[in-house]
Amino acid sequence: MLRVSGLSLCYPNGKEALRDFDLTVEAGELVAVLGGNGCGKTTLLRCIARTLAPSAGEVWVNGTDLTHLAGDGLRRARLELAMISQHASLVRRASVLSNVAMGSLGRHFTFRTALGGLPESELRAAHGHLAQVGLEGLAAQRASTLSGGQAQRVAIARALAQRPRVLLADEPVASLDPEAAEEIMRLLSRLAAAENLAVLCVLHQVELACSYAGRVVGMRDGRMAFDLPRAELSRELLRHLYLSEAA
Amino acid sequence: MSAELAQPQGRLLKQARGWGRAVAMAGRTVGLVLVLFVVVQSLIVVQARPQDLVTGARGMADIIRRATPPDFSKLPDVLWPALETVDIAIFGTIAGVIMALPLAVLAAANVTPSRAFYYLARGTIGFTRAVPDLVWALFFVTAVGLGPFPGGLALAVHSIGMLGRLFAETIEQMDMAPIDALSLTGARRIQIFTHGIVPGVLPALLGISLYRLDENIRSSLVLGFVGAGGIGFQMMTAMNLFQYREVSLLLIVIFVLVLGAERLSAILREKLA
Repeated sequence: MLRVSGLSLCYPNGKEALRDFDLTVEAGELVAVLGGNGCGKTTLLRCIARTLAPSAGEVWVNGTDLTHLAGDGLRRARLELAMISQHASLVRRASVLSNVAMGSLGRHFTFRTALGGLPESELRAAHGHLAQVGLEGLAAQRASTLSGGQAQRVAIARALAQRPRVLLADEPVASLDPEAAEEIMRLLSRLAAAENLAVLCVLHQVELACSYAGRVVGMRDGRMAFDLPRAELSRELLRHLYLSEAA
Repeated sequence: MSAELAQPQGRLLKQARGWGRAVAMAGRTVGLVLVLFVVVQSLIVVQARPQDLVTGARGMADIIRRATPPDFSKLPDVLWPALETVDIAIFGTIAGVIMALPLAVLAAANVTPSRAFYYLARGTIGFTRAVPDLVWALFFVTAVGLGPFPGGLALAVHSIGMLGRLFAETIEQMDMAPIDALSLTGARRIQIFTHGIVPGVLPALLGISLYRLDENIRSSLVLGFVGAGGIGFQMMTAMNLFQYREVSLLLIVIFVLVLGAERLSAILREKLA
């Protein structure tokens, strides 16, 4: 579903943020990416989403190579790929329902959507996506009134409205309390299985990665340090991952 | 040994501090002389003669005497020009907003589609703002003749510059996270604009537009002096005919208009905040 091969990114100042990175995430699988600050986790996700152009390598999403796409081709290819980040990034003055339905805009280019309207069918579907994330009762509420955990769940519902095959999550629980963080991870894990989504999730919380991810990828200095099923993770490996960063 | 070394070092430090104080004092003196120079040259250039105010006091008192009481019998004749003044401002503001909004999008560094559009839009905004509304009014009176229409056009064109700059700054300061999130969903530029940018900046833009309406009402009062309609035109005619009691009535109407517009604009902006 998502295949990354030989992905590298070298900044103009010569710093290599990503080096020869290979990764595959299958449909229905949740893979967590761990690593210290500045090891290239977010850069990896941004290269996959093509908000950063990699220096070398390929990114395949559902059989399409995103690497050489630009303009409308890239926009269309991105429909298969949803992304959520640490901050929910909702349109604060719009209702929760509208925010969710906005995820479908890429599939509907009509006079109505160009003028700020949303398709009736997608507004109806948005109720369903809100039910999937457990927020059906908040549909009419303004996004600015939501708590951090609720806003993140709305962002996930918006991603679902996009009907993606791959979901990238960049530290989705970083600004949430432990209970809300558990809820979000449980939700992502459930959605990966139920919606047959390939989920790649950058995390800082090792325990969450070990509880909810099927596989865990460790990153160090822009390279892959390990790619293992969660059962094979050891304290020694994790200690080595973060110790190296400190050194 | 160390005490012997410390003595000359302390002396040097004292000397340096003394020099620092002298330089600071010299800087302050030069600053003061500069300010005095600016004030004095302005008095000379404007040929300020305060004594003339004293000798002219009798003339001023005479005008005030001839202007009182205001001629309220002329009130029905003033109502139409007053409405014209308000409508010139409304037309100018609405037309200005309609033209300024797309220009502001092109002139906002964070959303402009290209550098060429950015500079073109910034240039247009700068030019329309730099030319005073009174000059635009003279230009449009020549182009389309006397009346309220050239006044409305003048305010519209001048408002493009004033609103365009403020709109562009508001867009540049907006939270870009929802915009980036929408662009990642595969939404097109126009959809990102209408669904992400417009709701994000709308209250601020409405507030700025209301403030502009308030300013335009003040400006439209003056535009009548160059034949661009409204209450200003009536005021100029009354002054030329030495009808000072009518002038004082017009001043009262202007006062009510300006104050009313200011209050209404403030109340609406408060509701939007």
